[in-house]
Amino acid sequence: MSDRNAATAAGLRITGDVHTGPPPARTSYARAAYANTAPDATKATWLVVHADGTATAYAGKVEYGQGIRTGLAIEVADELRLPVAAVEVVLGDTELVPWDMGTFGSQSTARVGLQLRKAAATAREALLELAADRFDLPAGGLRAEAGRVKADGDGGRSATYAELLAGQSVERELADDVALMPPAGFTQMARPQRRIDADARVTGAAVYARDVMVDGMLFAAVLRWPAAGARLRDVDTSTAERMPGVARVVRDGHLVGVLADSDEHAAAGVAVLRAQWDEPGESPATPVDLPALLVESGRDPYVTQEAGAPEDAFRGAAGVLEATYFIPYVSNAPMEPRAAVARWDGDRLTVWAGTQRPFGIRSELAQRFGIEESAVRVIAPEIGGGFGSKSPYPVAHEAARLARIAGCPVRVAYTRAEDMAYATFRPAALITIKSGFMSDGKLVAWRFEGYHAGDRPFLGRRGSETPYDVPHVKVTTYTSDSPLPTGSYRSLGAAVNHFARESHMDEIAAAVGIDTVELRLRNLSDARFRRVLERAAAAHGWSAEAPPSKRGQGVAIGIDVGSYCATVAQLDVQGSEVRVERVTAALDCGLTVNPDGARNQVEGSVVMGMGTALYEAIDFRGGRVLNAGFTRYRVPRSSDAPAVQVELVGDDDTPSTGAGEPGIVPIAAAIANAVFDRTGTRLRELPLQRVLR
Amino acid sequence: MVTLQINGQTRDAPDAARNLLSYIRFDARLTGTKYGCGEGLCGACTVLVDGQPLRACTTTVGAVAGGAITTVEGLARDGVLHPVQQAFVEESAMQCGYCIPGFIMTSVALLGREQRPTRGQIREALSLNMCRCGTYQRILDAVEKAAQATEGAAR
Repeated sequence: MSDRNAATAAGLRITGDVHTGPPPARTSYARAAYANTAPDATKATWLVVHADGTATAYAGKVEYGQGIRTGLAIEVADELRLPVAAVEVVLGDTELVPWDMGTFGSQSTARVGLQLRKAAATAREALLELAADRFDLPAGGLRAEAGRVKADGDGGRSATYAELLAGQSVERELADDVALMPPAGFTQMARPQRRIDADARVTGAAVYARDVMVDGMLFAAVLRWPAAGARLRDVDTSTAERMPGVARVVRDGHLVGVLADSDEHAAAGVAVLRAQWDEPGESPATPVDLPALLVESGRDPYVTQEAGAPEDAFRGAAGVLEATYFIPYVSNAPMEPRAAVARWDGDRLTVWAGTQRPFGIRSELAQRFGIEESAVRVIAPEIGGGFGSKSPYPVAHEAARLARIAGCPVRVAYTRAEDMAYATFRPAALITIKSGFMSDGKLVAWRFEGYHAGDRPFLGRRGSETPYDVPHVKVTTYTSDSPLPTGSYRSLGAAVNHFARESHMDEIAAAVGIDTVELRLRNLSDARFRRVLERAAAAHGWSAEAPPSKRGQGVAIGIDVGSYCATVAQLDVQGSEVRVERVTAALDCGLTVNPDGARNQVEGSVVMGMGTALYEAIDFRGGRVLNAGFTRYRVPRSSDAPAVQVELVGDDDTPSTGAGEPGIVPIAAAIANAVFDRTGTRLRELPLQRVLR
Repeated sequence: MVTLQINGQTRDAPDAARNLLSYIRFDARLTGTKYGCGEGLCGACTVLVDGQPLRACTTTVGAVAGGAITTVEGLARDGVLHPVQQAFVEESAMQCGYCIPGFIMTSVALLGREQRPTRGQIREALSLNMCRCGTYQRILDAVEKAAQATEGAAR
């Protein structure tokens, strides 16, 4: 086995700038949200071709289900002309990989994948040069193939990468302008491939943060607030300290942890802590009128799109519709509740944390304890889902603080209820749309006002613009008070904004009596949008009919992270039960590195988005979450899952954009539109099954 | 003191009241069996006891004393994956993978009592397992494939 440590590995090393180019404007939310972390080096090792001819790629991203380890390996393998099995990808360990802001916004393939392709192409060129020297032939007459460099022509000379690299230690600077493999030369990319990390996942060998055990580790359970924002006044720990298995109770300000020899003993200790709290704001007994709160507290209007004079144009329209849509808080609820293990070695700290931001957490921990970032190592092992919720990772802080005081390694692992209650939620939103249109369904004016809960305006802005051709338009988003903490959720506010917009487009279709696919096409000139819509409709077997047609078919389109998606849902409604039978989605994410991986992401997005459409809503009183846990918060199960067909329509010569998020953007509206098509009842509030009851 | 058999190995458990999932994960150090909810609702902790699926998170060690427990680590034989594991690999029936051991154990139990289950039976048997990544279609495909493979091998 070759040395996998980038700092010490021998062979051919490709170094390059840590930054993979300026973030596109759409990820400015990330800079705004997580600006506390900055790279501590300008250069990093991106790729090593080892002396045995295999390769290791290094990336600061993490694997939490997107399949990027596989996608990145495919990209490196293709540029390096190696089998995928000969490429290893090291992720998410701050000691080993290039600095990265975090794994969000579908940037892994779009930016890091491109960087690794350039690194691998640079390595390929270097290997050709090594062979040219060895064969004393011009490099132009050589080609790399299946881990060898060969001279053209029959009987030409050839050498394996291992032979070329034997005894060598070569370093090259990543060439930003290196010639990448053109699509016609692909042998690995754009072909469906299995996950390279599948075996570890089916045998139980894959190690997640919850699975990490270190010598001398104690299991901690933490005293939790009864409601968001509550402050600890006093706590009596005397009974807890006498409980079986409890080693000690540690208090650090408002953080109180019971350290024990097992999760169960620690939890039993916390259960007998006698704590007094000051609860802020609303009395827990007072239900909040959330729609009213969102509108009344809306502030900081931000215009994401503006053209013409919509208020005047409404007067010239043949028809005008105005409608309000409401979307509740939902929970990310990944299958692995957050967990962290912290170990101090003197003033050096190592934390195993299933976070989407290992470098951001490293910065936070260094700042908290007043130590250098180089004294902190954050290791993100396999991560059991996140969908945005594992960007903030307070559990890492809790483990590090408790371990510091206890003088031994400490593990903090949230229970399911903790993970759901002491979390962030997708912001609730209230969206009002006014549209003006002609009798043929062509839009003339569009006013969109979105009130999104929480103090992170970028969440609500995303995906609020309309992609339809409309001469007079104004789209404004507001920041509203939030009784619950809000945070990232797959596609941020895009799925929320799309639910309102795409529902409203169907309302226009019903008003003018035009088929809903046809209505969209009449208002769409963007060629990529038209293509996904036409492909999804054709693949589904869509037949034009004005809604409601009783067929139970609904369509919606969407764009997120630069990728285009159109989704058709087919369903039946029995009483308050909606049964989604079949979904067809078309995705254009440009060059699709691993079509099977992209398909998997869209299938999953459809199921997750179906949950938000039909079942999911966080219930709360004051700052208290009432339905933390799977007894009272329903998420989709295999018995709910529709058959999903995914059409991938991206062109190989269009740069890759994200595949993990766009699939969730249209699905809720497609389902609501299909419910209208089936029943003739327009539902403007999620989740639909609750409204139907 | 309780005696257990896990993946063919005999083990002593001093505390009969110990949570079975924690015993498996932290005492036996078989961390393939996962904690997902602690309430028996998500199936991530599913193990087999004498071939029957059991939620380890709501069970004590004492309750399975004398039983033969199989965890996901005990399925492969001499490095060869169990047909159900193999089918999950072939179908890429996973995203984050955290729930997958539980799905595999439930599926192995199903195929143990039903050699050629219908799609509806598979869906029903797996409806108490949860995959938040939403890979249900692939999981159902994988179990169907595994059923065909096992039947083919038995013929």
